[in-house]
Amino acid sequence: MSHAPPERASPIVWPRSRWWAFLDERLGLDALAHLAEKKRVPVHRTTVFYFLGGMALFLFGIQIITGVLLSLYYKPSPDQAFESVRAIMTEVEFGWLIRSIHSWSANLLIGILYLHLLTTYIMRAYRRPREFTWITGLVLLAMFLAFGFSGYLLPWNQLAFFATKVGTDIAGGVPLVGKYVLLLARSGEEVTGDTLARFYSLHVVILPLATLAVLAVHLYLVQKHGMSIPQPVIRQCGGEDRVPSIPFVPHFLLRDMVGWYVALGLLAVLAALFPWELGVKADPFGSAPEAIRPEWYFLFMFATLEQTPSHVLGLENKQAVVLFFTFVGLMVLLVPFLDRNAERGGSRRVLNFLATWAVCAFIVQTGVGLGLLDFRLTTSVAASGGAAVALALGYLAFPRVAGREYRS
Amino acid sequence: MSLSTDPVPRRRCLLRLLQGSIAASIAAIFYPVVRFLWPRRATVSGAAEVTAPFTVEELKARYARGEVPPPFNFDNKPCLVILLPDGEIRAFNAICTHVACTVAFRPDKKDIFCNCHNGVYDLNGQPVSGPPPRPLQAYKVNRRRLPNGQEEIIVSRTA
Repeated sequence: MSHAPPERASPIVWPRSRWWAFLDERLGLDALAHLAEKKRVPVHRTTVFYFLGGMALFLFGIQIITGVLLSLYYKPSPDQAFESVRAIMTEVEFGWLIRSIHSWSANLLIGILYLHLLTTYIMRAYRRPREFTWITGLVLLAMFLAFGFSGYLLPWNQLAFFATKVGTDIAGGVPLVGKYVLLLARSGEEVTGDTLARFYSLHVVILPLATLAVLAVHLYLVQKHGMSIPQPVIRQCGGEDRVPSIPFVPHFLLRDMVGWYVALGLLAVLAALFPWELGVKADPFGSAPEAIRPEWYFLFMFATLEQTPSHVLGLENKQAVVLFFTFVGLMVLLVPFLDRNAERGGSRRVLNFLATWAVCAFIVQTGVGLGLLDFRLTTSVAASGGAAVALALGYLAFPRVAGREYRS
Repeated sequence: MSLSTDPVPRRRCLLRLLQGSIAASIAAIFYPVVRFLWPRRATVSGAAEVTAPFTVEELKARYARGEVPPPFNFDNKPCLVILLPDGEIRAFNAICTHVACTVAFRPDKKDIFCNCHNGVYDLNGQPVSGPPPRPLQAYKVNRRRLPNGQEEIIVSRTA
């Protein structure tokens, strides 16, 4: 989108045939068409960020379709779960494709959501009146992480069994209520068939319904407030209504669809070249398999848990780590209220520095989790903090590269 | 060199190509989904014959106690075996020819009855009253003397 967009591209011309008139009288199509015509997407140098939400929505659609398909053959019981997934991979035609797409798409979806969160922060799109859009977005992120965690157990293989055992045990580290959280999550003291049934219900009934409800609010808010435009762009153009824009239908939607088509192709390639592993059937009394680690999107917490000493400030290791990440999550949730200069377009240097540090720490800790970096906790903190300081100094030293000429 | 400068045929050609690739994409998406939905091949092949879970003597004893043994599995379909007063044994596919309920033998009424829609067959499997349109599928019955003196019942498909 490097070419200059037209100031006012003409909206789509809807076919108004007799059929249209018949349906419009009964369904109110003209009102919908009018809504679609009215929706416009601003064009500026970070417009590409606007595609991430639509991409997440598309991947969620893929998850629903492939998930429903998998549920036709999957059997949620410890005696049959592993065998039914094996049958999907070996006996059912194209079962390997559907399952691999479901797994790959889940991973891409979480990656896109992390990017969506980061770019929304960068554009400061959470500022008044969009605080609830930010909060519902974070709730959705938490729900998709829960989707990932609950879905991971369903094949009932050794990795899944221990991931669930460890994950629920960490949740049991929450002070005061931890014990009850663990009993509720596992439906008992151990990971058993009841846990599997519970996670299945969570994965295919409870979370989908809850997600659709929160997603509806999130999308309603996006429609209500329109796309948020970064403040420097508004200043440069001399007002929000003077920022160039294109109609959502069909101009932006068609670009969206190009992205979706590429994503679908990528999923097919990933599924064909790297079909998802099944592993070996869970043995509740066997030892944890070698090199066991969670999915990449939980690795930063996993690495931190590994590095943290057994006792911190009188707290046990897992309690300290759970408290720390709860605190971080709460801070992210409260960003719209912590950024007190947002409305005036003032600076947010402290927050930006902390956010940069958090992103650097996420990358470093993911590297540690993958075994690429052999860091202790202090090394990780110093390395990510150093990287954040270097980026901040770079930002101050090279305003042109950082794009600060917008502020003129 | 006399290439047409008229943009319309080229535009139409591009449009056809676009429509063609959209159709091909949709086909490429739906083909695996339809194949996935299609039932997988059965792993157990149908049996040609089966031994009833009771002998002739056991069947007699159960009738005497007022019991009627339920149909049993033959080739994944319920198989109904009845013993006539004259000692003849008949076997039927117990699936009602109306809408595929499983029928039952009624010794007191000397008929075969379908509880779902009150279909009545006689003991030859011929429909007598109610909605069934065709007779029950009959099976061939063989008896084999066991070492303990009892006779077992072997049901097989006719022809």
